[in-house]
Amino acid sequence: MNRRKFLKQSSLASSLFFVPDFVRAFEDMASSRLGYKRLVIVQLSGGNDGLNTVIPFRNDLYYKERPTIGIKKADIIKINEEVGLHARLAPLKRLYDNGNLTIINNVGYPNPNRSHFRSMDIWQTATDSDKFSQSGWIGRYLDHYGKKPYSAIEIDESLSLAMKGEHLNAIATQDAKSLYNLSKEPYFKNIHKHQNDVHLNEHNLGYLYKSMIAAESSAKYIYETSKTVSTTKEYPNNKFGKQLKTTAQFINSGLQTKVFYSSLGGFDTHFSQIGRQERLLGMYAKGIETFVQDLKDNNTFKDTLILTFSEFGRRVKQNGSAGTDHGTANNVFIIGEQLKKQGLYNKMANLSDLDDNGDLKFEIDFRTIYATVLDKWLEVNDKKILNKSFNQLHFI
Amino acid sequence: MKRKHIQHLYWRIGFGILPNDLDALSKKSKKEVVNNLFKASKQVTNLEVDTTEIKAVFGSMMSGSKMDKTVRQKIKKLSREKQIELNVSWINRLSQSQEILREKMTLFWANHFVCEDNNIVYIQKFNNTLREHALGNFGTFVKAISKEAAMTKYLNTKQNRKQKPNENFARELMELFTLGVGNYTENDIKESAKAFTGYSHNLKGEFVFRKRVHHEGNKTFFGKTGHFKGDDIIDIILEQKQCATYICGKIYRYFVNDTIDPDHVNAMVDVFYKDYDIEKLMRYVFMSDWFYNDKHIGTKIKSPIELLVGMNTMVPTQFKNNKQLLYLQKLMGQILLNPPNVAGWKGGKNWIDSNIIVLRLKLPSLLLNDAYISKTEKGQKDTRMMHKKEQFKKQFGKRFKTESSWSYFKDHFKNVELNDMPNHLLACEISEHAKPYLNALEKVSKREYCVQLMSLPEYQMC
Repeated sequence: MNRRKFLKQSSLASSLFFVPDFVRAFEDMASSRLGYKRLVIVQLSGGNDGLNTVIPFRNDLYYKERPTIGIKKADIIKINEEVGLHARLAPLKRLYDNGNLTIINNVGYPNPNRSHFRSMDIWQTATDSDKFSQSGWIGRYLDHYGKKPYSAIEIDESLSLAMKGEHLNAIATQDAKSLYNLSKEPYFKNIHKHQNDVHLNEHNLGYLYKSMIAAESSAKYIYETSKTVSTTKEYPNNKFGKQLKTTAQFINSGLQTKVFYSSLGGFDTHFSQIGRQERLLGMYAKGIETFVQDLKDNNTFKDTLILTFSEFGRRVKQNGSAGTDHGTANNVFIIGEQLKKQGLYNKMANLSDLDDNGDLKFEIDFRTIYATVLDKWLEVNDKKILNKSFNQLHFI
Repeated sequence: MKRKHIQHLYWRIGFGILPNDLDALSKKSKKEVVNNLFKASKQVTNLEVDTTEIKAVFGSMMSGSKMDKTVRQKIKKLSREKQIELNVSWINRLSQSQEILREKMTLFWANHFVCEDNNIVYIQKFNNTLREHALGNFGTFVKAISKEAAMTKYLNTKQNRKQKPNENFARELMELFTLGVGNYTENDIKESAKAFTGYSHNLKGEFVFRKRVHHEGNKTFFGKTGHFKGDDIIDIILEQKQCATYICGKIYRYFVNDTIDPDHVNAMVDVFYKDYDIEKLMRYVFMSDWFYNDKHIGTKIKSPIELLVGMNTMVPTQFKNNKQLLYLQKLMGQILLNPPNVAGWKGGKNWIDSNIIVLRLKLPSLLLNDAYISKTEKGQKDTRMMHKKEQFKKQFGKRFKTESSWSYFKDHFKNVELNDMPNHLLACEISEHAKPYLNALEKVSKREYCVQLMSLPEYQMC
């Protein structure tokens, strides 16, 4: 086998088989010394209106297209001479002032799809918009680098596509204790005692057995590890606040989990947008601030990166119901202590150069953000997970 | 007709079949069995909870008196309670109805024409529209749906006005209800949204067309230009063969197999595209040989509702507290009348994750048997059973207050041999590894054996 062929094959096969043991041992040592880095993903479902979140308040076009739902200058928290944040994002402004926030503007992908479900799938699978995939980007991270199903946890009742791999799925749980209690039943253990994971095929019944085995082994570990700590912080009393509280508990207990996933829904503001978005952004910002504080108190914030996205932004021009219809590019928030480029990462979208539909033309492919996070933060081979090479950004 | 095939048919068009019903049907031919199904579903029995109190409040509003805050709150509270009542009566209906095919189809359409509304009168009306057209003409069905009060609210057709169009309904009509994503242009959406301007409803939930806000001008849709109204748009959509393909594909995935066989779906399209008659299509599916192919039998993952109602079919179970039944639906990821979003539940493997699988496996013992699954080895007596059950009742009795009619089960399983029970309870073969363990256990009683079988991953399949 010549060198070239060897390299080609080794990049295709799982790294575990080819990388000599001592190299891996070194990697393990390196990562434990450098701190255990974690990624927290926050999904704003429904398509958050980015233009009313990070607002170009000097741009006349903005007010012209949004005569009634445009946010008034007086209500905006200004971050520079042209750009400001929605009033309910005051907690985020404090993170911004501390250098803990990067805002990446105008993020999207080629040939945008304006269906919630399709666009969400595109963001979660990280595939081209005309390709379909059954596995998500975090799922494929698990396939290649996650040692256990609990290497990634979604704090929810069920699992998003983002968290499903070709071979391994992440764990979904809202309540570690009840999951543990349920999985303890000895009858189940005996039923699958002789099941060999390798023999379980991909058909539906095999899938059930696999899920059952993964659940049992993970539930015990998650429960017994996380019960050692509890938080004294007061989180906002809503579902999102509870998700973040559980996430903080998991992180602060030293759970060996690399990725956490949570979501906040309801952003599909086709009508009466002002009040609805206000309430949701308030929930988001307050929750995040408490979460960051909780992590800081436990010295875990420095090793945590929070990524917030939504499946699309909304149309520049408001619709007839004091709302907005589905659009394209949107902003992404990166929150952490080790940011290289803080504040606004790039310029705001150009409102005078829209596509045929009256939507923004994206500037940054969201997958370049994923690639950067995978390579620079989780320190893994991003090409293997994204099945493609992307230029990297410089925010971390 | 073969017993195995009848069981398969009844899992797909219903929620399983009891041993004595199976006996009776096994003497008939496939044609007779299928004919009987359609005959039993000829009539439509509306699902209704008592809404006189809410209607009375509405009535007083119509006579001009203003709706103050307390009245509004009263309506909200009443409506919430009634929603729970409707949810529970729907589940009871699924467990007991003679019009089983119609009911299963209604359940299917409820996850196709996905809608949700907090007004009990509107959502109940919507639900019965699904029931009425479940086996009817698809075109008539779509038109009726587009005019439902709950739908005009849910997808904002109400707010869709001339000069100020709202595209929400037009987009979902094509993306989810008729053609599937990618089979139309953004321009088709914009143009058809104009045709649906002026759709609204009155307080009672009846359709109202507001001519003043309707866009009268020309619209160009799928290459045709005219003064189209909403119904015209639907007619043009139906002309696209893709519409028949999309619907047949969805029916195939729900009733036959998660994975589409293009040959079978194409054959279905040939039947359906002619006149969009849903009954004809379903009859074709259930009469075709491929429907009974081994590769389809017992290979679908039950939805949470199929799991619950399936258990109910064998061992009728009542919840003492309706809210607990709702909570259970929530935990399993399928609350009737409360879909996650307009695309509905994805189904298949998406029902399952690590969290849900352990709950689903535990569920039969939890609801039917005080959480007890017998693990007594062969030749020994189960001495722990009574004690364990008592203990559970003391500790968790309040959280799961159910009453199961085991006498009903005993009656129906009277003539079933112990070793024949898996054939009645499980749709697929027991896996190689579970079999020896199960065989090593003592068959304490039919009841305990039933719980053991229902606690297998195999019971999750249909």
